[in-house]
Amino acid sequence: MKKLPFIQKISIALIMIFGLIGVFSLNSCAPTSAIAGKSGVQLWGENCQRCHNTPSPMTFSPEQWETIGLHMQSRALLTQDEKNKIIDFLKSSR
Amino acid sequence: MKNSFLFKSLVLIFVIIIITASRTKLNAQTQNVTDSALSERVAALELQANYNKPGDDHLLVVGLATFGFVSSKTTNTIDGISTISKSNGFPDADHFEFSPMFLWRHGTKFLMEFEPSFSNNGLGVNWADISYFAAPNLIIRAGYLVVPFGTYSKRLAAGWINKLATDPMGVADMAPADYGIEVAGGLPLGTMKMNYDFALTNSMNLNSDGTLSSGSLGDVNNNKSFTGRLGILPFSNSTLELGVSGMFGKVGTPGTAFANAKGQAYAFDLNYVNTIHPFLVNIKAQHNIQNISDVNYISPVDSTSTYTFTNHSTATFIQCSLRPTTANNFLHDIELAGRYTEYNTPSNSTWGSDQHSYSIGLNYWLSWRSVVRLTYESYTGNSTAPKALDAYTGKTIKNSWYLQFAIQL
Repeated sequence: MKKLPFIQKISIALIMIFGLIGVFSLNSCAPTSAIAGKSGVQLWGENCQRCHNTPSPMTFSPEQWETIGLHMQSRALLTQDEKNKIIDFLKSSR
Repeated sequence: MKNSFLFKSLVLIFVIIIITASRTKLNAQTQNVTDSALSERVAALELQANYNKPGDDHLLVVGLATFGFVSSKTTNTIDGISTISKSNGFPDADHFEFSPMFLWRHGTKFLMEFEPSFSNNGLGVNWADISYFAAPNLIIRAGYLVVPFGTYSKRLAAGWINKLATDPMGVADMAPADYGIEVAGGLPLGTMKMNYDFALTNSMNLNSDGTLSSGSLGDVNNNKSFTGRLGILPFSNSTLELGVSGMFGKVGTPGTAFANAKGQAYAFDLNYVNTIHPFLVNIKAQHNIQNISDVNYISPVDSTSTYTFTNHSTATFIQCSLRPTTANNFLHDIELAGRYTEYNTPSNSTWGSDQHSYSIGLNYWLSWRSVVRLTYESYTGNSTAPKALDAYTGKTIKNSWYLQFAIQL
């Protein structure tokens, strides 16, 4: 059997990965209404402490919380909805 | 008499007019001064408010610092002969670090993360990458990044997050930082959640003794390493996360005896955090397996001969910590942590060793992000390196006390 060139292997792998992610992103199981209805404070309590203590809302300014939100979304792999609700809660609780 | 009364009345009216006029003028002057000061203050506040209005870009400097003291007693035994050494010192490799982290957000779609780090290992860079938040649950990252292998290196290694003063042996070493691209995100899954993280990087390089190094700007073999992790949070309250990771790639340099050497590694991780009254229970575990192809290595004692070994390593840790949730203020800030770590490197290699350690610690949280911790660690290492290669180091027992302060800035 003829071996595929390296670049083709990489291309196929990337296509598969992005395809998989695309399928997940577009057709992922929607959260149940109970999950979708969770408040920011509840998500803050559940998710932050998975790695560290829950942060005080006073730690950062609203603008800073926006930046921290992106950082934590990429570290802890929060969903977009979770990140938005947690940051909204932290900004409004200062 | 009448004229005198008239005169007095006129004088009185004149005085009243004079006084009233002078007071009015004074009031007008005071009013003008007040109006002017108020206007200037309002103008300054407007300037300040405009300055603080959100723009497209935002730069934030955070980071961490860790500083501590360690006291150790080491007993090494080779062929029945023991030597004892003691050491006391402030910083040592794992236990001192100052790492500012620069987060530069460009709008709401781009984030640049750069974390230089000063430690006993010198001045280095933990990561330097750019993330593009392409879709609600899709992040594309490029640059110098921590590969997604297990969760310890990426999420738990920071001094103020770690529950004990030391890192678990070997666990972080198998998840290096490297140049490449990465796609990651979290996804809802009904009542559950999942997350994915895949990276394509330059790959690690096999060294002349069978160990691996990483982080080369250039790719030594024009092949790439693929690393991926899938995590699932099966409970709706996110208390449990289970993850599986794999890392695959060529690690040999063309033109050397290692040219076709490949590396494969797997990791399994667990994270459970839940309040079980009266404690917050925190359990973390990770098991790493690393295999490298069998190749012949040049003997360190005779460059004309070679030797080989099965290049198989494992690193495991399981950690549990308890923190009271309903106690008074002082006890509420106390946390008790324990960890078992095992790290086995290949028998018959020059760095072969079966190692394990027990760690127990008492943490006092000064705030949600600053902690003073006392850790006791007992380490045992049995060398499995061959005596024929002058690499056998016998049995080592090391008992250490750590007093450490860690903060997120």
